[in-house]
Amino acid sequence: MQPETQAARLAHHFPDLRTQENAARLGMWLFLATEVLLFTALFTAYSVYRYLFVHAFDEASRLMHTGLGAANTLVLLTSSLTAALAVYYARRGQARRSAVLLAATLAFAATFMVIKAFEYGHHFHEGQLPGRFYTYPELQLPGASMFFTLYFLMTGVHGLHVLIGMGVLAFLMVRTLRGGYSTAYSTPVELGVLYWHLVDLIWIFLFPLLYLI
Amino acid sequence: MSPSPASEAVYNRPNYLTADRGVRSWLTTRDHKRIGVMFLVLTAAALALGGFFALLIRIELLTPGPTIMDAMTYNRMFTLHGVVMIFLFMIPAIPGIFGNFFLPLMIGAQDVAFPRINLATVYLYLLGAAIAVYGMVHGGADTGWTFYTPYSTTTTTKVAPILLGAFVLGLGSILTGINFIVTTHTLRAPGLTWHRLPLFVWAIYATSVIQVLATPVLGMTLLLVTVENVFGFGIFDPARGGDPILFQHLFWFYSHPAVYIMVLPAMAVVSEVIQTFARKNMFGYKAVAYSSLGIAFVGFFVWGHHLFTSGQSAFDSGVFGVLSMFVGLFTAVKVFNWTATLYKGAIQVSAPFVYIVGFLFYLVFGGMTGIALATVSLDVHWQDTYFVVAHFHFVMAAGTVMAFLAALHYWWPKMFGKTYAERPALVGGFLVIFGFAATFVPQFLLGNMGMPRRYYSYPERFWPLNVASTAGASLVAIGFLIVLVNLVVSLAWGRVAGPNPWGSKGYEWNTPSPPDKENFPGTPVFTHGPHEYQEPVPAAAEVTHAA
Amino acid sequence: MAEGSHARAEHGADHGPGRYVVVWVVLVVFTALTYSAWRLNLPEPWHVLVALAIAVVKAGLVALFFMELWDHKGATRLVFASSLVFVALLIGLVVADSATRFPLANPPHEGTLQREPPLGAVPLPLPAMAPGAR
Repeated sequence: MQPETQAARLAHHFPDLRTQENAARLGMWLFLATEVLLFTALFTAYSVYRYLFVHAFDEASRLMHTGLGAANTLVLLTSSLTAALAVYYARRGQARRSAVLLAATLAFAATFMVIKAFEYGHHFHEGQLPGRFYTYPELQLPGASMFFTLYFLMTGVHGLHVLIGMGVLAFLMVRTLRGGYSTAYSTPVELGVLYWHLVDLIWIFLFPLLYLI
Repeated sequence: MSPSPASEAVYNRPNYLTADRGVRSWLTTRDHKRIGVMFLVLTAAALALGGFFALLIRIELLTPGPTIMDAMTYNRMFTLHGVVMIFLFMIPAIPGIFGNFFLPLMIGAQDVAFPRINLATVYLYLLGAAIAVYGMVHGGADTGWTFYTPYSTTTTTKVAPILLGAFVLGLGSILTGINFIVTTHTLRAPGLTWHRLPLFVWAIYATSVIQVLATPVLGMTLLLVTVENVFGFGIFDPARGGDPILFQHLFWFYSHPAVYIMVLPAMAVVSEVIQTFARKNMFGYKAVAYSSLGIAFVGFFVWGHHLFTSGQSAFDSGVFGVLSMFVGLFTAVKVFNWTATLYKGAIQVSAPFVYIVGFLFYLVFGGMTGIALATVSLDVHWQDTYFVVAHFHFVMAAGTVMAFLAALHYWWPKMFGKTYAERPALVGGFLVIFGFAATFVPQFLLGNMGMPRRYYSYPERFWPLNVASTAGASLVAIGFLIVLVNLVVSLAWGRVAGPNPWGSKGYEWNTPSPPDKENFPGTPVFTHGPHEYQEPVPAAAEVTHAA
Repeated sequence: MAEGSHARAEHGADHGPGRYVVVWVVLVVFTALTYSAWRLNLPEPWHVLVALAIAVVKAGLVALFFMELWDHKGATRLVFASSLVFVALLIGLVVADSATRFPLANPPHEGTLQREPPLGAVPLPLPAMAPGAR
């Protein structure tokens, strides 16, 4: 990398690129910690109501498409693989491979959203909706509507994060294609993909909690 | 108001205030010092607004029946007072102003780790405030700042904008916290080990840890309340299987650590001011440093003491009651070490120091009443009475605000290059200190007598103490006015302050007043800790021009 | 390039891309495992524990290898680990509350709806779930 370009990357308040990169990574991890705590509020609500409404939650989770949920899990796990590989090649200056892998990640993300939309459609159709909108006649135990309130809130907030992640990945892909990253500077790719991995992490817990138990 | 010849001398030398001109240069600045000044203006305005609501409340409570407003308006007043004071002043002020301004200067850095994100926090503050003010103007909420369910989820008053405003403000708080943590980890100049850091930095770091971990939970909780209020999802509605107490758990999981977000920066200031004005370095530096982390950590374990009378289980109440006793230990460590520092120090009585003495009084007595409240058997009687109100106003209003004023007076010459007039500063200080006592001591008595909080009207036997409290509040208002006028006047007509008017050995005083736009000409190298007054030593940091 | 190899060394001794594929395979296997465990319909506490245990393992693999915590010593590991402490704290004490409360202080659920109402109280019907009802 040319010294001028290297200097252009280095912000004036950082002594060197390495410190700047470490700072960026630490900052991103702190942000990820806030996301973990954000979802924890929802997981807390889930835990309380799962404890109280054992039977209703058990019955309600049988109304979920576990096959589709498992498929979505595989989709996200694979997207994490392609994302991690995208960072790997970005670090080695192989922009085209990196961009292709980011595109693949985006494709998997879109697949996830499509499957989710299909599931949502089914639940809408059956009246399995949150709170006062719940009208599914075949499960009227106390706590049944609460399951779907939590389902829609947790997957909804997660889905919002998937959309944001897709935006970030798309931005990174475009920038990669324009030669924005190189062996000396690929930090944004790493950070954006860290965010994506978090999205996967959350789903790794959502899947068993909502579909399996 | 034309500047005096003396101030020409100050402002002729380019500094961070004068280096770039025009509104645009301020709106797009990445200079942490300018961002600190912007937070000063914004949070001071918020303090004034919150104080205005407080005065209206106290005027209303001058008589047992209606005085100047109806009951619904009164409910809105105390809600807005709480929301504005907490989210627009107490949480952002000291970190936003003094953390931003001085953290980089204290560690020999040119700026915080993420300057653009720092600027974003100013805009997030403005956006959050705008959304909340929109809600206020359109009737406001009447739920109290604690937004308890089921009322907050079923009321038709403008809860949603206020909740969303708080959400946006919380995001700003999180970003500030992330920025300060990363700055402290990665931008310390050579030679500045963790154990040479100023105690201000330790406490701001601990505050940032709380901001990062606790605020997201509040964000989600407020979102849930908004969603339930607007869409009726029923997360907290018993008719749908929901638990209203779950809201309280989630709310206080943030809001208890939040009080440490409010008080730790105050303690940060106290450590600095005491060392400077006693001309002694801190007794038990490590104890004070680590106690900040202790408060941050243990502060997360005690939230249930706000739920003693809510229907929470006896088991949880027991656990939280015991854990709450521990959190007082760390504050005690600080108070004892501060006192030991003052002992046999060469004390210089001046406005910042006077405010700190006030702070110590309010922290100790407010803190002790907090420990008393954390005892379940006592809380059963005091919960939701004026005893609680007096307790938190002692520590927050009197305590943190006192430290804020101390910081303002201590660092004013550094930030603006001007000295304020000492006499009015002392008069204002005494009025504020005694005013707070006059306002809130009667409230302890009222609470003990059984007067409930948030009540619009009260039985006649509570009348005299309420009048006394309002009288105290007017003293506080006058005190604040004097402080404000004194400081603003000093900007134009104050004496020019040199680089180090207090003779402090804190690192930040090794810069001109006001500092240059670029903090240091090269990279400072630190050779010893701050506030080493014992023997004559050269400046702690020598700037090398190698960079 | 000097900076490049330094960057690579920083991120853990120049390993190949194969590492990620191996981890992915393990993750897929665990996903299949958790799905199969679900099909087995294990009795009450076990199906929860098995599912959560598998989820924790998968999450650990993603965090350690995809998110490279395995390679990065220092502050980032501490940040992630600390956040988990607070997750456990919040969920633990809140569920403990629901679990140890006077039962009628909880929202009406199957454990309490069967009980005899207190003397003189009128038994309430289950809340109506009609659409539009608030």
